[in-house]
Amino acid sequence: MSSQTQIEEELDLSKFFDNLWVAIVWDDPVNLMNYVTYVFIKLFNFSKEKAHKLMMQVHTEGKAMVASGSREEMELVVQQLHEHGLWATLQRDDHGRV
Amino acid sequence: MGEFKGSANAGDLSVALSNDELHILINLVEQLLELLGERNFTHHYQSDDPFAQLMAASLGNLESAIEQPEDPVLRRLLPNAYADAESSAEFRKYTESSLRSVKQSHLMYLREQLVFPVDHELPKADIAVTDPAQWLIAINDLRLALAVRLDIKQESFEKYELMVDSDQQKPLFAVYFWLGGIQESLINHL
Repeated sequence: MSSQTQIEEELDLSKFFDNLWVAIVWDDPVNLMNYVTYVFIKLFNFSKEKAHKLMMQVHTEGKAMVASGSREEMELVVQQLHEHGLWATLQRDDHGRV
Repeated sequence: MGEFKGSANAGDLSVALSNDELHILINLVEQLLELLGERNFTHHYQSDDPFAQLMAASLGNLESAIEQPEDPVLRRLLPNAYADAESSAEFRKYTESSLRSVKQSHLMYLREQLVFPVDHELPKADIAVTDPAQWLIAINDLRLALAVRLDIKQESFEKYELMVDSDQQKPLFAVYFWLGGIQESLINHL
């Protein structure tokens, strides 16, 4: 593999990851655990198990990533989460960076 | 009281509420509606004329980026979508008025259901819950609003249980935890 190809691949990857955004749900002392699980199932069509696991992650770790995609998609997700009273923000996906 | 019966799937979900409970709920709903009404662009154009509505909508779009609301309850109900203030304000410009409208419509729906038995002077209410999703969101928003005013923390329930009856805040805490019970009961009947 030539170094030029390597550089090009890295460029392409960084471009891809720059466009990847995530929606994060933050813990708060008000939202009931089974309400948060209900919202995850309703909005993301998650199985009960997956929704419960994510809810527990929010509860024990203080936050959880619930969705990823383009910035526009994540803005829509965050808006829906706000409509349901969950505390959510979006940000660039830092973990995906090369 | 405040217990749900039946199930959403079977289509016979209902809730029994006393007159006192109805009054507490209606009061809370109306207070929150009033609070949310501030800075609602469409609110000032109550005409059915489609042009007036169009004007209200485009006036909203012409607004420059808007800052976070000052009231802590509104800050919680209409939170920042980004960690940085600039992106949040830009996002608000396009989304805040619709988020307010969605929340208002849930509360208006709940109010309509609660007001019916009061207006008809029924001794107690047995309300058919045909749209449990709207109930859930509206009750959740009421709890979020009360929690801000009462400064609810993880350990608040233990504190509440130790409160003496003469504590002026005790009835408010009681309402907050009662609403949590209603919400829990509703979720269990979905």
